[in-house]
Amino acid sequence: MARDRKPELPSRPHSAGQPPDGSEGPLTVGTFAGGHLAGRRRGRSVASDGRASESIRGVATFVLSFYLVGLALTVAGNSASGTSALVGLLKDRLFSPLLVPPWLDLGHDTRLTYGLPEDADHHIEVSPAVNGAGRPLRIPAARERSERAGRWRRLARAAAISEESDAQAGVLPAAIGAGLFATAGSDDLIVHVDRVVPPEFSAAASPSVAETALEARVRRVAGDVQMIPLKAPEEMAPVVDAAPVPGAGRGGP
Amino acid sequence: MSISPLAALADLRRGVAVTWEEFWFRPATARRLAGVRILAALLGIALAWSWATDLVGWFGEGGIISPAVLEAWRAPTAVSIFDFVRSTPGLWGMFLAGVCVLVFLAAGAATPVVAPLAAVFWASLLHRGPMLVGPADDVLAVILWCLVVGRSGDTLSLDHAIARQEPSPSWRNRTALGLLRVHASVIAGAAVLSQLKADTWWDGTAAWWLAARESSRIDIAAILARSEWLTNLLTHAITLFEVAFAVGVWQRLCRPLVAWGGIVVWPLIGLLAGEPFWGGAMAILAFACLPTAEDDASA
Repeated sequence: MARDRKPELPSRPHSAGQPPDGSEGPLTVGTFAGGHLAGRRRGRSVASDGRASESIRGVATFVLSFYLVGLALTVAGNSASGTSALVGLLKDRLFSPLLVPPWLDLGHDTRLTYGLPEDADHHIEVSPAVNGAGRPLRIPAARERSERAGRWRRLARAAAISEESDAQAGVLPAAIGAGLFATAGSDDLIVHVDRVVPPEFSAAASPSVAETALEARVRRVAGDVQMIPLKAPEEMAPVVDAAPVPGAGRGGP
Repeated sequence: MSISPLAALADLRRGVAVTWEEFWFRPATARRLAGVRILAALLGIALAWSWATDLVGWFGEGGIISPAVLEAWRAPTAVSIFDFVRSTPGLWGMFLAGVCVLVFLAAGAATPVVAPLAAVFWASLLHRGPMLVGPADDVLAVILWCLVVGRSGDTLSLDHAIARQEPSPSWRNRTALGLLRVHASVIAGAAVLSQLKADTWWDGTAAWWLAARESSRIDIAAILARSEWLTNLLTHAITLFEVAFAVGVWQRLCRPLVAWGGIVVWPLIGLLAGEPFWGGAMAILAFACLPTAEDDASA
């Protein structure tokens, strides 16, 4: 058959799976163990032959198939929309132990934006809790567009979003505060994570709105770092005057 | 003459096997992969620079990303070579060694050794600060691991200059290029799926939300604010391009067009989204999808 794929067969017409120059020959371990330079020195049978033996193709096919299934499951299992218990179980048990260490357990769900406040640019603002005890910081600086600024924005966003997770709540704000004690010149800081939310397209002429996503007081007392969450103003209940307004509730139809 | 179902099944099986064989194992020269290697290494160096300024502030003694933070963030199987160094000299030594590996990779010096080291360095860096990682870092990690599979140092490299011998085609180059193409398609497809879950990509205002952020690298918010049609057009063009790219790299006729289109358009999307390095990384994947000389000969 014209499309015979066995590499060992000599005098075969050029076909699928063959190198364009039609060269063939046995492969040595050096070719596949990253030792192709060494392989070259052993002669043309290795240097000019780019084909894999049947057994190596078999192993490679198995590995590739396994990886492609894993890739599909990581995309399905790392979606921001959540994942089914079945996909999660398969991915976590079979693939994650192998794909996490090389940083390949990725969902690739690059949404760019959903137009939500979480998608706005976040930044960190730190100010001394006690007046005159240090200097305020804003990281990254306004309008800074470098990749470094992008990493700080991701850190700020992660701090804000992690407050919704039981396992992660408070960890990052405390770490940010503690990590900035020296830079801010104070061991008692108010840490804000703010975001600048663009206006709706229908109100494009309006200015962006600054929101506080997170506010916490972080201080070091006797070597221990303490974090005291401060509620954002919009989360506080409105002040209700218990005294009845004169005339209210007494009127009738 | 009628064909029996068994014969048709055998034909189908043979067809699948031949296609699989062609796609993954037909020997290819290293030229395209060498280009990917150089571009990826340069991108890695540029991205590494963005970690350098705050390296000690993030990972050093008393840094923000402490072991306690990592414990709450990382998967139990995650590991980083940076976990073992906390001192400032050790941290800088490890980091600069990694940057040197990327420089060696760009130059194609000792590529079979340096390519896996670069991938390990990059994965370690990302595992050390997972909450700082952006989409460009993810894509670069994928590209670096694909380079480990191929023989990208066979040409356009110091290895080649030293060996003074014409490199031969290798099945490993084809496998690496195949993996890059699969990832290019999957990443574009996953981005589309993710985007289309939100109203902004359907009502055509996503481009506005991207441009209006201060992190956007193209200042077109004022232009978009004046024209809803233009905003809609840009939004839908991004979506359509991503769909075309994800699908088109598998069509023989469309492949050169979408690959060249990707080289131009991905960086523009990256600039608009405030992720120019992600756009650059996607452009490298698009470059890897361009048909090779062997593909043209085969066609």
